Amino acid sequence: MSEATKSPTVDAWWMRLLTTVGVPLLSVALAMAIGSVIIVFSGHDPIAAFSALLQGAFGGWRQIGETIMRATPLMLTGLAVGFGFRANLFNIGAEGQLILGSLGAAWLGLLLAPLPPILSIPLILIGAALFGAAWAFIPALLKAKVGAHEVITTMMFSWMALYLTSWIVSGPLADKGGIPQTPMLSGAVWLPTFDTIIPGLPPMRAHLGFLLALLVAVGVSLVLRRTTLGYEVRAVGFNPSAAQNGGISIPLTTIYALCISGALAGLAGASEVLGVTHRFFDQVSAGSGFGFTGIAVALLGKKNPVGILFAALLFGALSAGGGTMQLEADVSQKIITIVQGLIIFFVGAETIVTWFIKRRKRLALEREGATNA
Amino acid sequence: MKKSLRSVLALVIVISMMALVLAGCTPASTPTGSTTTPPPAAKLKTAMVTDVGGLGDKSFNDLSWAGLQKAQTDLGVSAKVLESKQLADYESNLTQLASAGYSPIFAVGFLMQDAVTKIATSTPNTNFGGIDIFFADPIPKNAVGLNFKEQEAGYLAGIVAGLATKGNFDARLNAANTIGFVGGIAIPPVQRYEAGFVAGAKSVNPSVKVISLYAGAFDDQAKGKELGLSLISQGADIVFAAAGQTGIGTFNACQSSKKALFIGVDTDQYMTLTNPGDTILTSAVKKIDTAVFSVVKDAVDGKFPGGQNKTFGLAEDGVGLSPYHDFDAKVPAAIKDAVTKAMADIKSGAVTVPSSLK
Repeated sequence: MSEATKSPTVDAWWMRLLTTVGVPLLSVALAMAIGSVIIVFSGHDPIAAFSALLQGAFGGWRQIGETIMRATPLMLTGLAVGFGFRANLFNIGAEGQLILGSLGAAWLGLLLAPLPPILSIPLILIGAALFGAAWAFIPALLKAKVGAHEVITTMMFSWMALYLTSWIVSGPLADKGGIPQTPMLSGAVWLPTFDTIIPGLPPMRAHLGFLLALLVAVGVSLVLRRTTLGYEVRAVGFNPSAAQNGGISIPLTTIYALCISGALAGLAGASEVLGVTHRFFDQVSAGSGFGFTGIAVALLGKKNPVGILFAALLFGALSAGGGTMQLEADVSQKIITIVQGLIIFFVGAETIVTWFIKRRKRLALEREGATNA
Repeated sequence: MKKSLRSVLALVIVISMMALVLAGCTPASTPTGSTTTPPPAAKLKTAMVTDVGGLGDKSFNDLSWAGLQKAQTDLGVSAKVLESKQLADYESNLTQLASAGYSPIFAVGFLMQDAVTKIATSTPNTNFGGIDIFFADPIPKNAVGLNFKEQEAGYLAGIVAGLATKGNFDARLNAANTIGFVGGIAIPPVQRYEAGFVAGAKSVNPSVKVISLYAGAFDDQAKGKELGLSLISQGADIVFAAAGQTGIGTFNACQSSKKALFIGVDTDQYMTLTNPGDTILTSAVKKIDTAVFSVVKDAVDGKFPGGQNKTFGLAEDGVGLSPYHDFDAKVPAAIKDAVTKAMADIKSGAVTVPSSLK
């Protein structure tokens, strides 16, 4: 009898685990499978391709460093988009906030270089976060005051960010030499790479921005669970009208949530500029679209900070291994883009997968019921 | 509590799955690495890294690759290409090729300057070529910058446009005496095309009006079309686009409006655009393939030209003007003669084409 009362909760627990982890994993597996089929059709060996990819992503310290370095901005943009999701806001314009954050970091990096790094680097990071938050503020205000949809406004602000910074790097902040980029930052404000901190590591490009991203993930988790603001954000995301009836100001929460999301995206840009490029390029996230990939990361990570970290590592690994895949197995890196697209597609098609899992379970229950009867 | 337990369990499962996959696949990679038969000691392994435009850009990435492929056929070297998907790929792709023993390795595009400078310094035994990269002093001994006098190709295109806009060999040529220029991003190579184009046009038609617009991107066809239409509405009947993929949009604007002729850039775009015959007058070409090939040839001969920035102009057969193709019969002899004369003057040094607008 006690067995019968206990089993539904255990079942529900397993069920939730299955959908939390199972869906993302299944999506990745399906995407890889279809990717393999495409590789076969292009006349190459998928096993060779994916093992080269793994080799390139995890085959040694340098490779692991590459994976981490590439995952770092995605963790932060994933957290940014994920935070918005929690308040039921779709910050599709994280890209623009990241671009502004990058520019802010490059500018402040030039200004604050004379200060000791212990002072200048935190100031630059805070400044870049404010740049990102400021870029999200107007869309947030528009949403809160007149209900203008953030998907439209933040997207528009991304384009504005692109063209604005494009002008700034070829005008007011241009490096000499005519290439649209800001001057190289002094080494004093670079985020150090791990091999310069931990003796014995070979040269690698993973930098302290990774620790920053981990700290931010913990911070976001704490804010969401332990603070009034986090409670309000989740309440508004869960059921706006109930939240309002409970005395939560929806406009205010919207503004806070979108600005925090923007700040995180700005941090992503700062980490990339201080840790990797050491200057701002026109189209600093060209080709990759860290902000846009962040949306996929947030979805794959199920909007959960821990999930987002893993999703970002996966995308980082795909990106890091792509070069090796092309070098060793002659498979175009475009296949990586296809696999990423498929992952997003399957995560988006979660409803179908969830339905499939539930249906199997229901059938199993029915069968069980039938045998019992 | 239950929730955090669930996430921990989730983590464990994910990690163990990843480990399993890793364990399952790693041994397979060993044969992959060694299936390629080691080349004879004398045979060079050449490679290139594309910029984020990747292969298929019908511009400098494809041209560099064409140069390497020619070297593969004619010189018996092997050739490899790694495409970059984001800025961070530049450095890792160059590193991977260098540690796999490739040399010379070509870095394609000005955005790769920081990366190739850094890797060339850290791997002194590998040679590097930089397309559109002008190395800063001190230039590493194992690096050569390959730059082009785009202004000379632009100048020839300007002569064609400046004379043609006054002519009436095509119904689309109007009386506005106006020609247009569409640039991708205002970087030195594009600005050199523009400067040469303006100078060439003015040299044969001092009162011609040249309108220049910049798209701010090399991959925005919609923007290219919009700018093309804008130029046409301002009276331009010949438009020269030095804008990569953006220029394809400009070409479409010229073709669909039936109001302007188009001049292509970098490659002979008659060969790469779809049904361009009725609209494309000529192309200002930049022979990156020739330059790449010449560097590989020098390397094969043991004379890699490291430690300098090389510039390829008309005199070095590094730039030029493509054939008129379908317009060959229509283009008046006066235009062809003016181009031939300008080419001779530039080669002899009688004419120096300005590299920037003054």
